[in-house]
Amino acid sequence: MEITKLAKKLEGLHTISSIAKLLNINKRTAINYVSRLRKEGLIKTTYGLRTKARLYEISTYKKREHPLGLYDIVNKYSRVKLAASQEYKIHKELTIEEALIRIVKTQKFRLILASLELFNKVKDWPELFRLAKKEYVGRKIGALYDITRITIKIKKMDKRTRKGLLNTSIKNKYIIKGLKSKDEDIKKIERLWKVYIPFNKDDLDIYKEWRK
Amino acid sequence: MTWIYTRNGENRMIAFKGQEDLFKLIGSELKERTECIVIGGSAMMYYNAKEGTKDIDLVFMEKKAFDDVKNALKNLEFIERKSVIKIFKHYELLKKEKRKPVFMGGRNTRIDLFLKEVICFEISETILNRITEMHEYNNLIVKIIAPEDIILLKCATEREKDRIDAFELIKKFNIKWDTVIKESINQTKEGKAIYPVFLYDFLLELKEDLKADIPGYVIREIMKIGEKEMIKRLKKK
Repeated sequence: MEITKLAKKLEGLHTISSIAKLLNINKRTAINYVSRLRKEGLIKTTYGLRTKARLYEISTYKKREHPLGLYDIVNKYSRVKLAASQEYKIHKELTIEEALIRIVKTQKFRLILASLELFNKVKDWPELFRLAKKEYVGRKIGALYDITRITIKIKKMDKRTRKGLLNTSIKNKYIIKGLKSKDEDIKKIERLWKVYIPFNKDDLDIYKEWRK
Repeated sequence: MTWIYTRNGENRMIAFKGQEDLFKLIGSELKERTECIVIGGSAMMYYNAKEGTKDIDLVFMEKKAFDDVKNALKNLEFIERKSVIKIFKHYELLKKEKRKPVFMGGRNTRIDLFLKEVICFEISETILNRITEMHEYNNLIVKIIAPEDIILLKCATEREKDRIDAFELIKKFNIKWDTVIKESINQTKEGKAIYPVFLYDFLLELKEDLKADIPGYVIREIMKIGEKEMIKRLKKK
C-alpha cells in the first residue's frame, strides 16, 4: 500500500491490534506497516499509563520540530499529562519560571492544575519573584505554591521570595475569573494571599491518581 | 536568511527557516503583542507540505495590528509596492480603501498584508475557530490556518501554482470535505455570494485535470449552493 494512503487511513491514535483490525491484516503485517511509517517520520510512539501498551500517533505529514510550548513543558515535567486542543509554540528558550507565569496568565483550569508540579523544577526563585511582580501575578503564584505544598512533596521556596510575593500587587483577585474554592483548608490560603483559588481538594486529588 | 533557488536561479523562494527568521525580526521590531494569520504557501510550510514560498501572506483581523506590522516592516527597510498584482486588481475597482491590502518588498522577499479578507474570501469566525497551531516570535503571534481553509483560499486566485498547491494538500491530508462545504455556505452569508461558483470551478478542475481525490458529492453539493446563490442574485436584479 502507498505510504500516504496508509497514513491517511490510519491517521490518529492506534495500537498494533487496532491497525490489524482496521486494515484486516495480521499483527505481523501491522508491525511492518508501523515500521514503514516510522521510517517516513509519520509516527510518534507513546505508552499507555495503565497497561503500558505502545500507542502509535499516526500523522499524514512529517511534523516539523518546533520549540516546546506551555503544554509540552507541563507534559515533560508534571505527572498530570494534558492533551492540547491548540498547539502554542514559543520560539525562544522558555525557563520554568517564565512558563509558570505564562501559565497563570492563561487562566486555563486544566493547564494551571497540571502545572503545579513545575514548582519542583524552579531553580531561580528571585527570577520567579521578579517576573511575577512584573506581570502582576505575585500573590497568585504564592497561593498556588502553597496549595501545591499541601498536595505533593515539593521544594521549599526561599523566605525572601515568599516575603516578596506576599507584598506584590495584583490587578484582580481571581486566578480564573469567577472561580473560588469551597474548601476550608484552601480558603485559609486564599485569606493569607488575598486571592481566590479556583481549586477544591477533589481537583487536587488528580495528583494521587497520576502517581509517578 | 535561507533561500531556495529554482532551476534558472531567478525566482528565489523563501525557505521555512528564512521565514521564521523574518518573523522573529518583525516580532522584535513590534512594541506590542500582535496577532496575524498565516495563509497560503507560508502556512503550507508549517504543515511540511511545501519547501519554499515566493511571498508571505499575512491576514490581520484588526487595523491597528495591520498598521503596526506595516510600520515594523518599514523599519526593517521594506518598501511598499504601489503597483498592484493582477489578481488583486479588484481592490482598486471596488475602492475598498479601508481593507486595501499592502504589498511590501525588501530583503528579496515579498510580504502581502491583508485586512480581514483575501480577494473574494472573508476570514470568518469559523475559520479562526479551526486554527490549531500558533507560534510566538517575540511580539508577533502567528496563527496557522487549517489545511481545509488553505484550499478554500487557494480557490480565490486563478494561478496555476495555487492549483498545484491545493492538489498537494488534498494528496497529503485527510481533508474534511464537510468543513469545505459548510465554509462555502458561510461565505455566502458573509456577503460573498459568488464564492461557491469559484470554488466549484476550482474543485472540478482539480478533479478532472489533476485527478485529485475529491468525493463526487462535494462537487455536486457546491454546485447546488452556487446555483442557488446565482438564482438569488438574478432575482434581485
